[in-house]
Amino acid sequence: MDLYSVTLEGPAPWGFRLQGGKDFNMPLTVSRLTPGGKAAQQNVGVGDWVVSIDGVNAEGLTHVEAQNKIKACTDRLSLTLSR
Amino acid sequence: MTHIETSVIYNDQEYDQYEYMVQEEEWDRDLLLDPAWEKQQRKTFTAWCNSHLRKAGTQIENIEEDFRNGLKLMLLLEVISGERLPKPDRGKMRFHKIANVNKALDFIASKGVKLVSIGAEEIVDGNVKMTLGMIWTIILRFAIQDISVEETSAKEGLLLWCQRKTAPYRNVNVQNFHVSWKDGLAFCALIHRHRPDLIDYSKLNKDDPLGNLNLALEIAEKHLDIPKMLDAEDIVNTPKPDERAIMTYVSCFYHAFAGAEQAETAANRICKVLGVNQENEKLMEEYERLASQLLEWIRRTIPWLENRTPEKTMVSMQQKLEDFRDYRRMHKPPKVQEKCQLEINFNTLQTKLRISNRPAFMPSEGKMVSDIASAWQNLEQAEKGYEEWLLNEIRRLERLEHLAEKFRQKASIHESWAQDKEKILSRKDYESASLTEVRALLRKHEAFESDLAAHQDRVEQIAAIAQELNELDYHAVAEVNERCQRICDLWDKLGTMTQKRREALERTEKLLETIDQLFLEFAKRAAPFNNWMEGAMEDLQDMFIVHTVEEIQSLISAHEQFKATLPEADSERQAILGIQNEIQKISHSYNIVLSLTNPYSTIKSEGISAKWDKVKQLVPQRDQALQEELARQHSNERLRRQFAAQANVIGPWIQKKMEEIAHSSIEMSGTLEDQMTQLKQYEHVIVNYKPNIDKLEGDHQLIQESLIFDNKHTNYTMEHIRVGWELLLTTIARTMNEIETQILTRDAKGISQEQMNEFRASFNHFDRKKKGGMETDDFRACLISMGYDLGEVEFARIMTLVDPNGSGIVSFQSFIDFMTRETADTDTAEQVIASFRILAGDKPYILAEELRRELPPEQAQYCITRMPAYTGPGKAPGALDYSSFSTALYGESDL
Repeated sequence: MDLYSVTLEGPAPWGFRLQGGKDFNMPLTVSRLTPGGKAAQQNVGVGDWVVSIDGVNAEGLTHVEAQNKIKACTDRLSLTLSR
Repeated sequence: MTHIETSVIYNDQEYDQYEYMVQEEEWDRDLLLDPAWEKQQRKTFTAWCNSHLRKAGTQIENIEEDFRNGLKLMLLLEVISGERLPKPDRGKMRFHKIANVNKALDFIASKGVKLVSIGAEEIVDGNVKMTLGMIWTIILRFAIQDISVEETSAKEGLLLWCQRKTAPYRNVNVQNFHVSWKDGLAFCALIHRHRPDLIDYSKLNKDDPLGNLNLALEIAEKHLDIPKMLDAEDIVNTPKPDERAIMTYVSCFYHAFAGAEQAETAANRICKVLGVNQENEKLMEEYERLASQLLEWIRRTIPWLENRTPEKTMVSMQQKLEDFRDYRRMHKPPKVQEKCQLEINFNTLQTKLRISNRPAFMPSEGKMVSDIASAWQNLEQAEKGYEEWLLNEIRRLERLEHLAEKFRQKASIHESWAQDKEKILSRKDYESASLTEVRALLRKHEAFESDLAAHQDRVEQIAAIAQELNELDYHAVAEVNERCQRICDLWDKLGTMTQKRREALERTEKLLETIDQLFLEFAKRAAPFNNWMEGAMEDLQDMFIVHTVEEIQSLISAHEQFKATLPEADSERQAILGIQNEIQKISHSYNIVLSLTNPYSTIKSEGISAKWDKVKQLVPQRDQALQEELARQHSNERLRRQFAAQANVIGPWIQKKMEEIAHSSIEMSGTLEDQMTQLKQYEHVIVNYKPNIDKLEGDHQLIQESLIFDNKHTNYTMEHIRVGWELLLTTIARTMNEIETQILTRDAKGISQEQMNEFRASFNHFDRKKKGGMETDDFRACLISMGYDLGEVEFARIMTLVDPNGSGIVSFQSFIDFMTRETADTDTAEQVIASFRILAGDKPYILAEELRRELPPEQAQYCITRMPAYTGPGKAPGALDYSSFSTALYGESDL
């Protein structure tokens, strides 16, 4: 398990599908990547866990909360992920 | 002119008066012609003769006449010589006269005077010159020749005498016998010299020669018995007085004074001799006195030196030595000197006596030189002896004092050591001491004994010193002996006490050892016994939980066995108690006052007895308890059997039903509806079977109440049955549900029965374990068989979908869901979003009132609370983002 961080330059879309959340009893993961999208360009991997969003710990966030947090980042999105 | 030659021979001396005579002759010649001197001579000679003849009672008047017959001449001679002449002839004839004169002349000649040219005839004839000459010869011979002054005789001697005597008188200078006498001072001086009381010389004057002469003549006649032989005027008036006359007169002075002088001298000599005598006598007396003194002193001193009374202390002895030193230093030396002086005096005296022709001095009896010498010798010997004795005594006293001090010191040291030993030895501390204490005391005592032994020779030393002090006659020896005796007595006493104490200690030790052994014995036996009893008590009170009859029976038999050991135990108990009694007996009989606490054990005999009673008490209790339990166990057994009987029927029945149900769902025979019907039938049967379960529950309750926890008669526990029953119920329900769901799914997804069967078949195929669920590998294989070639990642994603709980099992339902989803066209999230868009009137957001308008209030409220605010472009107040909400519903959002 290793952590890594990416900073995607805005604006959205970031080019990945977020799955999971506290309410689903599943960790927040990247379930899909848009080929050639911003996330794919930064070498984000499918199945990686999202550890923090914009510096905020993602553990305990519901899907909607995580989704909103990501949507709140317009110019730049900083993520810490775990392979 | 007659030549008178006179040579006088004096004993050995022979001096030639020739010169003198020559002068005489000259004068003679000159003055022969001078009637003055003849006159002077005549007067002077006459007076002189008369002064002598007076003693014979006669006188002459005329010098040339009165001597003519020679009788007065002979008389004169007799008087002045003091000798008898031959008898004169008493005749008047010339030849008688001549004969007498010759006798006289012969006499003169016999006196050594050579009469030359003086014949008797001339004298008989009355020749003045001859007669004067003859008288002069006589005078010369008898008055002047005898004069001897310091070995100078006759005229010179006389002159010398005059000079000597007149020397103090400055205005007198006698050089001759003529002009020096003219001023008369010489005569006065002579008188004054010998008889100052007769004349006051200071009043005399040189210029009054006459007066002086007359005065002298007067005094001489009156007081000195010297007739006036001179005439003062004649002397003064004559330029040179007649020498002979002067000489004659002066010789009278000489004889008068010299006689006095002689008398004086004689008296002096006598005095001197007497003085010498007196001196000698004084010396003798002095000698005697000193000798006595010395002898007395020696007499006194010798006893002191011979005193041998010993002193008691060295100090007083040293004082004596000091006194002796003082004696040697201060008292004796003067005595030595005295002795020396005595000797000197003696020698001096003897010498003096010898010199003065006296007999030697013979000291009185006992004071002889030899006596003194021997006395002195004795003294010195005594001294030596005394000194020796002093030193010896001092040495002795020193030694004595040293010894005495040594004795005192050693005695003191010993006494202080021994002081408290008596008290220590008489302690009875062992009576109340424990064994270790007694052992320690014994060891201490051993140490004490060796200490005592070490002191033995010290005591002996003290005694030896005391002995020596006795031998040396120490003055305070009584006290020493007393002390020594005390020490020895105490020593003996200590010895005895030591012995006694040793015995007592050893005795006590033995007793305590015995007791200790007993204690040990007690401990050794009491401990296990106590443990046994405690164990027994525990066991007897042991709460047993038995579940089988066998168990209780074994307990009972164990109990019986235990009961069998009781008699033996009892005898052991008695033995142990016996030991305790023994201990007590010993300690009482020997009066040992020690706390009878057993050092090896805390167990008391009372404790043992008490426990024993308890044990005895517990045994029947146990019996009873066991019996009760036995009964209970029997009843339990009955219950068990009862339960088992039922459970053994119900259990398999449920099992069978489960299998049937599972089989049916797997079999997939007939349609879902058929399956459902079948299932419903099963359900019915099952429900009807419930009372059995209830009954079993009742029995089980009984069993539980009886605390029966196992049942060997059946493998089925109530739990099993219950669980099985419930599982059956749930299984039937679930299976039915599954069927329902499948029906729904089939209906919803339009899956035909064939499809369904296909799904079922492949599922069953890959459900290798036939559990009704696929494992992960099975699933993967299944997918592959269906043509899904999935990567690891994709597969993982799919796994999360089909097995969201991570159970590792893919159920048929999820399998179908997955299969149907994958073959479905639509994305469900999209559908929902599309639905919302319709409701929102094609806006990207929806408003709350729209939701309320279109949806039932509950759902609307659900959406309103959960939908996030829309933050996209063209937002309006109260806009809700239904897209993210929808995607969130499915757990997926595309971002």
